Amino acid sequence: MSETVEDSSGQPFSRVESDEDIFKETKEDLTSSLFKSAMSNPADKEIDLNDDESPSVSQPIAPTTAGGQEPLNQAGSEGYIKISVAEPKKVGDGMSSYLVYRVVTRTNIRFFSKQEMVVTRRFSDFLGLHTKLMEKYLHKGRIVPPAPDKNLVGTTKLVISQQVTGEANTADFVEKRRWALERYLNRTASHPILQADPDFREFLELESELPRATNTSAISGAGVLRLFNRVGETVNKMTFKMEEADSWFEEKTQQIEALDAQLRRLQSSTEALALQRKELAQTTSTFAKSAALLSTCEEHENFAKALVQLSELEEKIQGIHMEQVHADFFLLCEFLKDYIGLIGAVKDTFHERVKAYQTWQHAQGMLVKKRESAEKLDSAGRTERAGSARDDVLEWEVKVERAREEFEAISRTIKQEFDRFELSRIKDFKHAFISYLEALLESQQKLVKQWEDYAIQVKQIE
Amino acid sequence: MLTKPERSDTVDLSDNALQVDISDALSERDKVKFTVHTKTNIREFKKQEFSVIRQHEEFVWLHDRYEENDEYAGYIIPPAPPRPDFESSREKLQKLGEGEGSMSADEFKKMKQELEAEYLATFKKTVAVHEMFLQRLVSHPVFKNDHNLHVFLEYEQDLSVRGKNRKEKIEDFWKSFTKSTDEILLSTTQKDTDDFFEKEKHFLVAFHEHLKDATYKADKMTRAHKDVADSMLKVASQLAQLSAMDVSPLEECFQKLIDYLEKSRKLESRVSSDEDLKLSDSFRYYVHETAAAKDLLYRRMRALADYEAANKALDKSRIKHKDIQAAEYAQQKACENFQVISDKARDDLRSLKSRRIITMKKSLVDMCDLEIKHAQGHITLLKSSLSLLQEE
Repeated sequence: MSETVEDSSGQPFSRVESDEDIFKETKEDLTSSLFKSAMSNPADKEIDLNDDESPSVSQPIAPTTAGGQEPLNQAGSEGYIKISVAEPKKVGDGMSSYLVYRVVTRTNIRFFSKQEMVVTRRFSDFLGLHTKLMEKYLHKGRIVPPAPDKNLVGTTKLVISQQVTGEANTADFVEKRRWALERYLNRTASHPILQADPDFREFLELESELPRATNTSAISGAGVLRLFNRVGETVNKMTFKMEEADSWFEEKTQQIEALDAQLRRLQSSTEALALQRKELAQTTSTFAKSAALLSTCEEHENFAKALVQLSELEEKIQGIHMEQVHADFFLLCEFLKDYIGLIGAVKDTFHERVKAYQTWQHAQGMLVKKRESAEKLDSAGRTERAGSARDDVLEWEVKVERAREEFEAISRTIKQEFDRFELSRIKDFKHAFISYLEALLESQQKLVKQWEDYAIQVKQIE
Repeated sequence: MLTKPERSDTVDLSDNALQVDISDALSERDKVKFTVHTKTNIREFKKQEFSVIRQHEEFVWLHDRYEENDEYAGYIIPPAPPRPDFESSREKLQKLGEGEGSMSADEFKKMKQELEAEYLATFKKTVAVHEMFLQRLVSHPVFKNDHNLHVFLEYEQDLSVRGKNRKEKIEDFWKSFTKSTDEILLSTTQKDTDDFFEKEKHFLVAFHEHLKDATYKADKMTRAHKDVADSMLKVASQLAQLSAMDVSPLEECFQKLIDYLEKSRKLESRVSSDEDLKLSDSFRYYVHETAAAKDLLYRRMRALADYEAANKALDKSRIKHKDIQAAEYAQQKACENFQVISDKARDDLRSLKSRRIITMKKSLVDMCDLEIKHAQGHITLLKSSLSLLQEE
């Protein structure tokens, strides 16, 4: 359900029908039937980058990139959009209860209805949005930011009881998800194409509840898609070896794989760091308690006081350690997880291109077949059948041409997307590191203060 | 080989000067060989300055000789230094060797350096602890004249203190077992009319337990701190690998974070070892001291029990008109013994009290100063890393 978007001339953007027809007819593997159902939303609108009327893309400022393409500028260089997701509130009771998040958007981009918008959304709404965006843009070669994982275990814990499974764990989980959702929306908003997407805008603007996304129950629709895609992928990889004419893709595929592997390793070691620090916090707290106990049997009154104060100090230090754990975890670990997900999305586009290539090859194969059969019928003198066969040939010639165009279009788009991805990666990582160090700085300053206060107290003991 | 800096010579003009330090130590596989260096003008010694090599077992032998000596029953015997324990360092080094294939050469080198530093720190600690034990002995007006001590300091050959064989170890175990049951028995059956000692007993028993617990937990805390520092190293090395495969300007950015992590790791390590030194070790030392004080109380109790037994024996012999003189003599001795022990014990316990508060307070103050220094260093590091990252 999307609103009709009209450009300045009053004409609704037309749907590129033929693309979908090709997909419906030529895809013979398992993925096609899923694609079909996913693509059957009739009101899908697309905005083509080269369309003169698209309002969101500002003048590209960077020089042409390696792909020789018009660089896809970071959206927001002229417009500003910032989305925040607040802590969720529980709605309903018992097993049918769910959480809703408040989504606040602040922007000065003109095609949004207001400068500040507040809506409430549930988790499945986010997944539904992602599914729609994937359906619309993946096959064009756009890198669609992945939505946060639906962590089943966490959700059921939440529904059953807040008390049963330790507050801290559920609070952690809720915060993790909230933050992931916020990053997801902001990342999507920073993509100039996605930002202008009507479904995305509706998600941010529509004050009433969104219709329940149906294919997000156990595994999200995108998840199922990806699952089948992966199956198809492995089958593809085994049976289909694409002759790569473009060395750029060969190089980038390897680069992406290496990056993926290394990021995973880095992420697991940052997670280890966070866990170690958590252990430190716990042992600090245990020590604090034992220092308190010690103070109760200390006979020297003033020293006993010092011990009590030591115990209090260590408890506060434990709090500071936990803050650092949060920094380790959210600013580094989760951030890296995001990037691993993004790289997955990049790989998805590469895979789409391979599929487009397959489609093209298949069409070419069909064309050859149809030509052969037309010739056979011709030479056999069966003019009627030959006529329809020649019609087939024409039809397939068109299809081959379309498939080739699609393949080239997706190749171009991917290059564009990739360059943008590289640029934003630099910015993102730098920003993440800075935030991380700033958080640590704050903790250390608190730590100094605590020790300084305690030093004064200790020095006063007689 | 560990070399100690030259100690400044304090000139003691008395005839009874005795100075001891461990001037060198050599770590060999399982053993540590300490070079015990003595400076003295006590005439009993053959020379004025001399050194001998001693191993840990010989220190324990010396301690045991003091403990067994009834003349010292009224004093707190300085606790024997704990065994040099390189077990955990050795384990870690072994694990590192096994994991060599799974990490980069750079990371391996760094971890190895880290472990070597740890080993060195443990080594320094054990030297310090052995040295302190000897210094307690030589600065005590009574202990310093002990014959066994002189032998320990001077005798150039090996003292042939063989490690206890199995039979002796079992004997030891039974001895300590009977001692502790005796202790319990005494503490429940033996009444003490002296308030001071009653209070001391209650205090020491409770305090010792809690202090032991606090020490154990402090150890866990400092170890966790060390582990945090070590995991930073791992993250830094992963970042380095990531940076190596990245051709973009991101490489510089990575490098800055890597630098930060490496420096902050060193800082955290230092915090951990300072905490260990000032907090854990200080607590640990007094765990041993209070244990020694408890031993003293026990000996006194034992003496009191003996005294009361002697009294009863005297009464009995008076009734039976047999061996009265012997019984009187025994009772006299027991009484004197008990008095002497009580008096000495009172003094020693009092001095332990004040010593303890002073040293523990100093440790806490030192720890605060070090923590503040490190935290401020860390802040400076963070600020400079941030400004480096934010530039451009």
